Order: sequence, then structure tokens, then C-alpha cells
Amino acid sequence: MIKNRKFSTSLFVGLCLLFQYLPIIVMVIFSFNSAKSLSNFKGFSFYWYEELFKNNELMSAVFVSVSIAIIATLVSTILGTITAIGLSKSKKIVRQIVLQLNQLPILNPEIVTAISLMLFFAAFKVDKGYMTMLFAHIAFCTPFVITNVLPKVRRLDPNLSDAAMDLGATPFQALTKVILPQIKPAIFTGALLAFTMSFDDFIISYFVTGNGVQNISIAVYNMSKRINPSINALSAIVVFVILGVLALSYIVPAIVKKKTTSKVRKRTARIVIALSCLALVIGIAVRESNKPVLRVFNWGEYVDKSVIKAFEKEYDCKVVYETFDSNESMYTKYTGGNKYDILVPSDYMIERLIKEERIQKLDWSLITNRDSLDTSIMNQPFDPNNEYWAPYFYGNVGIVYDKTKVDEADLGQGFEILRNQKYKGNIYMYDSVRDSFTVALKALGYSMNSDNDAEIQEAYQWLANQKETMAPVYGGDEIIDSMKNSEKAMAIMYSGDAAAIMAENENMDFYLPTEGTNVWFDGFVITNECQEVTLAHEFINYMISDENALLNTLEVGYLTSNKHASAIAKEEDFEGNSAYGIRTDLTGNDEVFTYQDNALKEKYAILWTKIISQ
Amino acid sequence: MKQYKKLVIPYIGWLLLFTLLPMLMIALYAFTDGTGEGGAMMFSFTLSNFTKFFDPVFVKVLFKSFVLGVITTVICLALGYPVAYLISKCKERTQTLLILLITIPTWINMLIRTYAWISILGSNGIINNMLSAVNLPPATLLYTDFAVVLGMVYNFLPFMILPIHTALTKMDPSLNEAAMDLGATPLQTFWKVTFRLSLSGVLTGITMVFLPSISTFMIPKLLGGGQYALIGNFIEQQFIQIGDWSFGSAVSMILAVIVILMMAGVSKIEKYTGQDQEETHSDKKSKILN
Repeated sequence: MIKNRKFSTSLFVGLCLLFQYLPIIVMVIFSFNSAKSLSNFKGFSFYWYEELFKNNELMSAVFVSVSIAIIATLVSTILGTITAIGLSKSKKIVRQIVLQLNQLPILNPEIVTAISLMLFFAAFKVDKGYMTMLFAHIAFCTPFVITNVLPKVRRLDPNLSDAAMDLGATPFQALTKVILPQIKPAIFTGALLAFTMSFDDFIISYFVTGNGVQNISIAVYNMSKRINPSINALSAIVVFVILGVLALSYIVPAIVKKKTTSKVRKRTARIVIALSCLALVIGIAVRESNKPVLRVFNWGEYVDKSVIKAFEKEYDCKVVYETFDSNESMYTKYTGGNKYDILVPSDYMIERLIKEERIQKLDWSLITNRDSLDTSIMNQPFDPNNEYWAPYFYGNVGIVYDKTKVDEADLGQGFEILRNQKYKGNIYMYDSVRDSFTVALKALGYSMNSDNDAEIQEAYQWLANQKETMAPVYGGDEIIDSMKNSEKAMAIMYSGDAAAIMAENENMDFYLPTEGTNVWFDGFVITNECQEVTLAHEFINYMISDENALLNTLEVGYLTSNKHASAIAKEEDFEGNSAYGIRTDLTGNDEVFTYQDNALKEKYAILWTKIISQ
Repeated sequence: MKQYKKLVIPYIGWLLLFTLLPMLMIALYAFTDGTGEGGAMMFSFTLSNFTKFFDPVFVKVLFKSFVLGVITTVICLALGYPVAYLISKCKERTQTLLILLITIPTWINMLIRTYAWISILGSNGIINNMLSAVNLPPATLLYTDFAVVLGMVYNFLPFMILPIHTALTKMDPSLNEAAMDLGATPLQTFWKVTFRLSLSGVLTGITMVFLPSISTFMIPKLLGGGQYALIGNFIEQQFIQIGDWSFGSAVSMILAVIVILMMAGVSKIEKYTGQDQEETHSDKKSKILN
């Protein structure tokens, strides 16, 4: 009977652990995948592990994550524990107020905490980086410690510590010898949670960091655009190391047999504290020497990193390289007090930055490689005389489709194919207000930049009807991987991503609807506050040179602005890949996004929320 | 005991500086109709950001978030309590090991773990490949309510198990024995003694699962195929995509007030356990003694 119960106990806990580890196991398996996919195992290889160790950026992200998590855990555990003890003795009103305030970071959506801290640091002109990230982490970790420790403290018998003090103990002795031992499990749990929250945090870290300091989550987030299994390799190593340490700590004491006295424990505690102090010192000391510094803010996975290394060497400077995942988050960070010299925004965002006078005119005489640029795509409406931008990558938005599932004849329907009942439940839409409305407005024959109420309403009806009759899935960058794995028949896709899909799945093809679509451009601009104007121009010039543009386009898969490089890429890596190209029928129906003011943006966004939540 | 009161002071200072002040800065936006353009705002007082929210569309979004939060919390509790209970019955060293084992997966980036679920549940995913290997029809798992709830429970379960386990450890076993001696059945003993005493842990667990789960959006977005418009997503959209910090701030304040009221209601439950009375009793005693 007892044995039986024991068995069912371990079975239940075992199942629960299996549930927790199932995705981890999958993740570890795919870290050995030879292909660049998280869902289609092609063969065993150590390739991603090699890539990982070559990737300095990821390795320093590991250092930042680990050191910040350790220090934040230590500080918040101590702070949280003494606060909990103090709170249990405070007046009810004090306790209530502190507890309510304390819950704010747990309860607020992370983005609110993130923006509030970003504003806070900006208001006090604090230079963002390692220290701001550390303080932010302590700020959101401590509440978890308090929430866990306080109930346990409140259940303590207050007479015990009184008794200790009556017997001659100082309050400090009573605290360490009587109270702390009783609440140890709660402190342990609190510390564990603090570490977890710190280690896994993305949003808050992203908005309070700067100067190129990034943790693992930020690195992961910006890499996930192109599913880089190096992250899986990294996570696998993290899991193995932790489990290894755990196994050791479980087995070793059993062998040494409880010789681990409090002395040893104290020593380990000292070592941990010493190590974290060291980490802190290194973290602060990361500030480089007096080389000129160029701060570049680019899209995630949008460059061949070796080009930047080479530039640093050639021009004897330091490039502080940060990445973003949307024009809007770039704008939020840049206007939120972070300092950059070079940005890589898209068309409509360039228009906005020009309008708001946040960027300066380029000195084209310094950009000697300009003759290699494809002039046919220059002189766009957002910057008619190319005074502000130097083009980098560009492309279209179209439909990636599975040739084995989609009848070629149906393609004649243009965007209406996305409402063809044949493909019900088999399409991916792009989970973005603007890209979805582009589809609907273009299908109806209107401009995708429409501000006409009737047209917008009609487009809303189109999308609402599509949601009802087609059950589409609205996805983000993760659908790139899903399409490589033939999950669905069709997906709205940016051309560069489509090119990547087609390079790996030969059943896929790319189609640009005849009624016109979005033509987009990403380019370099130099900010107003740029300190190294000449160096910034040299950087742009370097990036668009024949040789480096080729390296970049081969790495990224988007069509480069350098005509020589794109010609070579078209002949070699992207031969016959129709998504590596561009249709700029700008006189016809293809269009470039224009900047929308807040009122218009909001109008679209409300309708979009309506569609999604219907 | 009075000596310890002062221990609160450092954190109060910290709270004022790093939580309250930043929050006030952002709350200011909620009451102004700043355009939010480039963070520049005009200081004209308005309540329109709050009234704007009471549109059926937004209320529905809020409601759906709460429903998802409640479902997640209930399932986490139903699964987490037995696990925590069973772990607390193990040897002390095994307990630490098991608790660590349960926490470690959460150290791996949430995005990566959720991507792994996509490749498990997808129509060409691992489960469906297994099904087709044994000639069973494929199942639609990904982009369903099931997938969303699964992902949420998966992500938040450790936050339920940990505090409950803390509350259950170091519980005086003689209490249980006394109850049994007095003729209580095992079930009665559990319900009237063990569960009551672990209630503080349950409440902490509920707080730590429910609060983040209403404002989360990555998991529902990835596993639900964007079919879920949730409040966290909505607030993020206001702040980043639209740049309307005023409305975003107002919505997050509405959310905060509702949640705080709800949690106040939940913590009333604690009073019925008699635990608080017992405590106020001893508080009084110590006051007299002092």
C-alpha cells in the first residue's frame, strides 16, 4: 500500500517534470540539426555549436545575463527579506501601502514598467547600459522576494525572537539566529524566483539598456527573426551546465558525508559574493579605451557581423552595435534618450525622422561607393533628392505559396486568393495592422496609404469577412520557419524572408499580386546628435561597397542596393529565386508606405483590434 | 520587536525612487492629451483617455484577458498543489532537488520554449508525425484554445508550485497527528489542517500566476495564431506601434485598479481561515507585553 502510494507519487511528479522538460528536450535535439530549422530535423551536426563559440556577441550576452541575474538575485533577496521582516512589524496602513506599491511591477504589463523606467533614467540623464539594467532588474525582482517571504514571516511566533532578546541576544543576533533559520525555505524560493525573472527578462531589459550592452533574451529576440539554432545550442549548454552542477551538488555531499559544515557554506557564500563583485567591476569597466565610438542601431540579423569587425579594424574605432525588431521600437528607444549615430529605418520612418528634424543631411562626397548603387531605386517620395538616406536593402511584400497545394490558376485572383474558400484554414496573414490593411486595400483597388474613411471601412469589412470565412492564422516572424516546414499553403511575406524560405523548401514560390503591392526600402541615416560625422559616412560607404554589400546580402538574403553585388548574388546563391528581386512598378499600382499621423494610426489600430477580437 | 520596524525604510526609499516615481511619470500621460509624438506632451488635463476605453471592443479584450488569466490560474492550482504537496513529503534534500528541477526550465528563454511547443504541436510537428506513424488521423493542435492554455500553464506552473511548496514545508506534523487523534479522517485532516495552513502559499501562487498571466501576450500570440486580442498586447500596441502613450497609460491604470480590487477581495479569504485572527491575537499580546 505504501509502496503503491510512493509509486504513484513519483509517477505524478515525474509526469509533471516531463511536461516541463518536453520543450527543452525538443530544443536540445534541434540544436544538433544541420539545417536552419526548428521543426524539420535534417541531420546531426555540431555546426550551431561552432557558430555559437564564434559569436562574440552571444558570449558577452551570456556574461551580462549571468552576472546581472546573480547580483540582482543577491541584492533583491537581501533587500526583500529585511523588508518582509520589517513589514511584519509595521503598522497595518504602512504594510498595506508598501504591499500595493510592491505589486505594481508584478501586475503591470512589462511594457509599462519598461517605458516608465526608460523615462525615469532619461529624465535624470543617466547613461544607459549595464548599471541601468541592473537597477531595473533589482526593482522588478525584489517584489517577488517580498511576496514569498512575507507570509512566512507573518506566521512566525513573535515570542521567539523576544525570548532570544530577553536571554541577551542583540536584535541582530535574534534576526540571524532565530528568525532567518525559520524562514529559510521562503527566502530560497524568493531567490529562485528572482533569478528566474531576471534571467528570462526581455522587454524591460531592452528599454533600459544602451551602449551595446545586451543580455541573452535581447540577443535571442533579435535573432529569432531568422531562427538561429545557435540560440538552441546556447540554451542546451545552459541546461547541461545547470543540471551538471545540480547533479554534482547532490552527489558530492553524499560522498563527503555531511562534512559540509557551516564553515564551508560561509566560504561558498563569500566566493559567490566575491565573484559577483568581480562581475560588477568588469561590467562597469567594459567602457572601452579612447578609440572613436560609432553607435549603430540596425535591424536584428541584418548584417554580416564580420563586416563590422573588419570596419573596426580598418578604421581603428569601436562600433557599438544594437538591434531592433520594428521601426516603432527603434523610434521609441531613440526618442527615449538613447544615443545613436546611425539608424537604419524604413521608408515611412525616414519620412517621419526628416519631418521631425531628427536626422542630418548626408555629405555624398564622402560616400565614394555611391556609383555602385542601383540608381533606379533612388529618389523616392520620402526623400526625393536623396539628401538624407543611403539605401541598404529593399524589396516587396507578396505571397509565399506551396506549389503542391496552390493551383497556379488561382493566382490570377491576386490578393483575393486569400479569401478563396479552397484554402480555408490554410493561410498565414502577417500580424501587423499596416501589412494586413495593405492586403485588403490593394485587393479592393485602393491606395494602401488611404486616409479615406469609406475605403478604410471597406477594407475593414474585407478583413473581418476574411477572418470569419477563412480562419487565417495571424503570425509574426515565426511563420518563416513554419513555411519552411510546409505548415500551410500560403503566407503574406516580405521578399527577403520569402527568398530564405525558397532556398530551403523547393516547393515554395513567391507571387506578387498584379493589383499592386508594397515596395519597401531600408536605408542608412545619420542622426542629428552624431558625434563622429566623418566616421559615420565612412561606415555607410564601407557597408555599401561591392565586396561588403555582397557579404551582407548573402548573409541576410535581402536584395542589396549595390547593383554589382546583387548581380553576383542573383547568379550564384539566389539563382532562379524569384523572391530575390524587386518589382518597383511605382508608376502603376505598387506603392511605398507614407508616414501616418497618430490619429490615422489609431483609427486603423482600433479596427484591427475589432477584427482580431471578433 | 520594534527594532525591526526600521528595516522597511531602505525599501520604502527604493520603492519611491524606482517604482513610484517612474510610474507617476507615466501616469501623467494618462491624464494629459499629449500626442505622444516623440515623447513630447502638452500638459492639458483630460479624462478622455479613460472614457475612450469603455468601448465594447476594448472591454471585450479586457474581459477575454481575465478569462484566460482565471483559466490559467485554476489549472495551475489544480496541477501545482498536488505536485507541491507530494514534493513536500519527500526527504529534505530531494525536495530541494525537485524544486530546482522544476524551476530550471524557466531559465531558458520563454521565446525558445514557446517555439519548441510550436514544433511539437504543429500540423507537421512531432505529435502529428507520431500519429501518422501509427496511422492515426492528424490532430489540429496548434493555433487552438488548447494550445494557448497549454502554453500558459506550462509557463506559469512553477510560479504556483514554488510558493505552495514553501508554505507546506516545515509544517508541524504534530498538528496532523493531533487532528487524526481527535478522530478526523485523512481527508478532513488535509482540508481542515494542511490546506488551511498552506493557504498563504496558495494566495502567493495565485498572485504570481494570475497577475502576469493577464498582461502577457507572447504565448497567446505565438500559440493562438494571433486570434487573441489581449490586454497586454493592446497596451504594448499603444505604446510602441501607435505611440499613444496617454491611452496606453490610461488602459494600464484601469487594469491595475481592477486587479488591485480583485486581489483585495481574494486576500479577504485569508481572514476566514482564522489565521489572521490568530495573528492579530498574538499581535495584541505582544503589544500588551511591550
